[in-house]
Amino acid sequence: MSLPLGAFELTVERQQIPSRLVRMAAPTASVAFGLLVGAVIIWAAGQDPILAYTEMARKGFGGRLALTGTLVLATPLILTGLAAVVAFRMKIWNIGAEGQLILGAVASSGLGLWLGDRGIGGPVGIVLMLAAGAGAGALWAALAALPRAYLNTDEVISTLMLNFVALGIMNYLIFSSFSHWRDPSRATFPVGRFLDDSMFLHRFTGRLHIGLFIALAAAGVLWWGLRSTRWGFEVWVTGDSPRAALYSGMRVDRKILSVLMVSGAFAGLGGGIEVGGVLGNLDPRALSLGVGFAGIVVAALARLSPLGVIPVAILVASFTNARPGLQVLGIPSEIVTLLEGILFLCIVGGEWFLRNALRLQRRAAGPGPGPVEVETAPS
Amino acid sequence: MNDSVLLLSLASAIVIGTPILLAGLGEMMTEHSGVMNLGVEGMMLGGGVVGFWMSTQHPSMALALAVGGGVGALFALIHAYLAVTLRVNQIVSGLALVITGTGFAGFVGSSNDSALIYARPQSSLEPVFGEGMQELPLVGPLVFGHDWVVYLSWLLVAAAAFWLFRTRAGLAVRAVGEDPATADTVGISVGVTRYVYTMIGGAGAGMGGTYLMAEIFATYQHGITAGLGWIAFALVTFAGWRPWRALVAAYVFGALRNLGFTLQILGASVPSDVLNALPFVLTIVALIIISARPAAARKYSAPSALAVPYSREIR
Repeated sequence: MSLPLGAFELTVERQQIPSRLVRMAAPTASVAFGLLVGAVIIWAAGQDPILAYTEMARKGFGGRLALTGTLVLATPLILTGLAAVVAFRMKIWNIGAEGQLILGAVASSGLGLWLGDRGIGGPVGIVLMLAAGAGAGALWAALAALPRAYLNTDEVISTLMLNFVALGIMNYLIFSSFSHWRDPSRATFPVGRFLDDSMFLHRFTGRLHIGLFIALAAAGVLWWGLRSTRWGFEVWVTGDSPRAALYSGMRVDRKILSVLMVSGAFAGLGGGIEVGGVLGNLDPRALSLGVGFAGIVVAALARLSPLGVIPVAILVASFTNARPGLQVLGIPSEIVTLLEGILFLCIVGGEWFLRNALRLQRRAAGPGPGPVEVETAPS
Repeated sequence: MNDSVLLLSLASAIVIGTPILLAGLGEMMTEHSGVMNLGVEGMMLGGGVVGFWMSTQHPSMALALAVGGGVGALFALIHAYLAVTLRVNQIVSGLALVITGTGFAGFVGSSNDSALIYARPQSSLEPVFGEGMQELPLVGPLVFGHDWVVYLSWLLVAAAAFWLFRTRAGLAVRAVGEDPATADTVGISVGVTRYVYTMIGGAGAGMGGTYLMAEIFATYQHGITAGLGWIAFALVTFAGWRPWRALVAAYVFGALRNLGFTLQILGASVPSDVLNALPFVLTIVALIIISARPAAARKYSAPSALAVPYSREIR
């Protein structure tokens, strides 16, 4: 593909390894472009974009309270991001992190309540509670993984559908039944029963709880697992060429099953941590906020790097954390969601510059020295 | 008595099934060209909110639908650019579009001096056929009791079925969705086809959202689609990428939305949470059954190149 420009022509070539300059410049420029589009929209709506942006940065990161709030919001996002990373690495498109997180929250709160009733709290109870969350997430993912592995059923649609089934289960447990999860003393305004105090995750300062460090550890483990274990190598090979994997003797069906279940376990752990660290009960109003879908975008923006998920998730969480502050200023807080969407679209689009090189060359017909290579940053 | 309750709930299943059908039929066209747009819910909200705004400004529903459909198509254009031209992962782009459309609807709905939340459409639609025909037993409420948008959706189903499976142009679209390299070889422009059909899908979603807000609910609220866009996405799979099946499936899904209410009148109590999840359960079951039977899989499976970006250089 080439575009003539006077004596020069602009050609597009595919590249395998982008230069360091482009690797830095592409996302930066994409973010800048997205913020610019957002600024135009805020301005068109009669608000001050500069004020909105400075306020968003301040409410996201300015001060201890803002920062810990952002980190608390980032915790489930890191885990759903990791869930997407491990599956997408093998080109298994798990878009069911939402539902796996919900089922994780259901199982964690269920077991947490049961253990609390029997006086088994503290570290042992908490570990069991979080393990139940991860396990439930894995099993929920298995509902899509088994047909995918053995019948080749499209996992995009099945994992997506399972989100809404999970949502239905959670709503049923709180709103439509007098289940183990529901607070029996609140008949008219249904809420989930609260865990015993001994089941809450340890808090440091403000709302910051130990869950963040569990999520960071999970990122480290996944990084190591994908990089340095046989399992990670096989994930990589299978993703690149399932046929090569099959002919070299790898059990591709089992790989699909294990990868989807590991993916579900990350998301389910996120649900458990939300229950034990933030909510204290099964709260459908708080657990249907799109963390699963956002996690997929986070993973894509982090280019499927387990460690890259961490900063991206924190950045996205800072946006969400800024919501209430903007509302106070009279700027509709929905602008945050809109801006998030625009930034996601721009950064995803900016990835093009990592896979393609623009070269400005003298036209072949003209005399002169050889091709002048100018690698350009995205517009 | 019970008969009429059943009949009324069937008739209202057709009403709530119509936005699902419009959006689902659009997404079906998109997917036949090999593009998967997960952003239906976002396009429905984003297109619908502008269509709804139009209905509060002008009494013409046709104008509102056109504006809503147009905005939906513009949202889809973003997806088409990312998916077709820049060849990014369509799942990621589609989900980003859901977030964008939801944020856009929320922002438009709550900003401005005249908040759309308090606005009402200037008019509502009347049934097309006269009283006499509406009072016919059975077919009266089911067939003759609707406004023109419902009949338009039936017409669109017939048109889509004819277009996709009985015309050369439809064959070309399906060729692009099944095997873009071959389609390219015989001179069909893969890029243009995918852009056009992605935008048709956005228009369907925008129209569905407009009809939902301007006619069915006659109001705008945050998140008013409440997952209907996702149901429309499921519809395409459940219907096996066939327009006529989509017509039936849309009303089955619509009926499930109303079933809780109907059953309550009839004395049975099934929680609405369970019923709301049923369309998704049915879709998973249908998907698994189809993939387990090779003969069915050949006939009712997704276009082979669905969600696969096309480039001449890389095969």
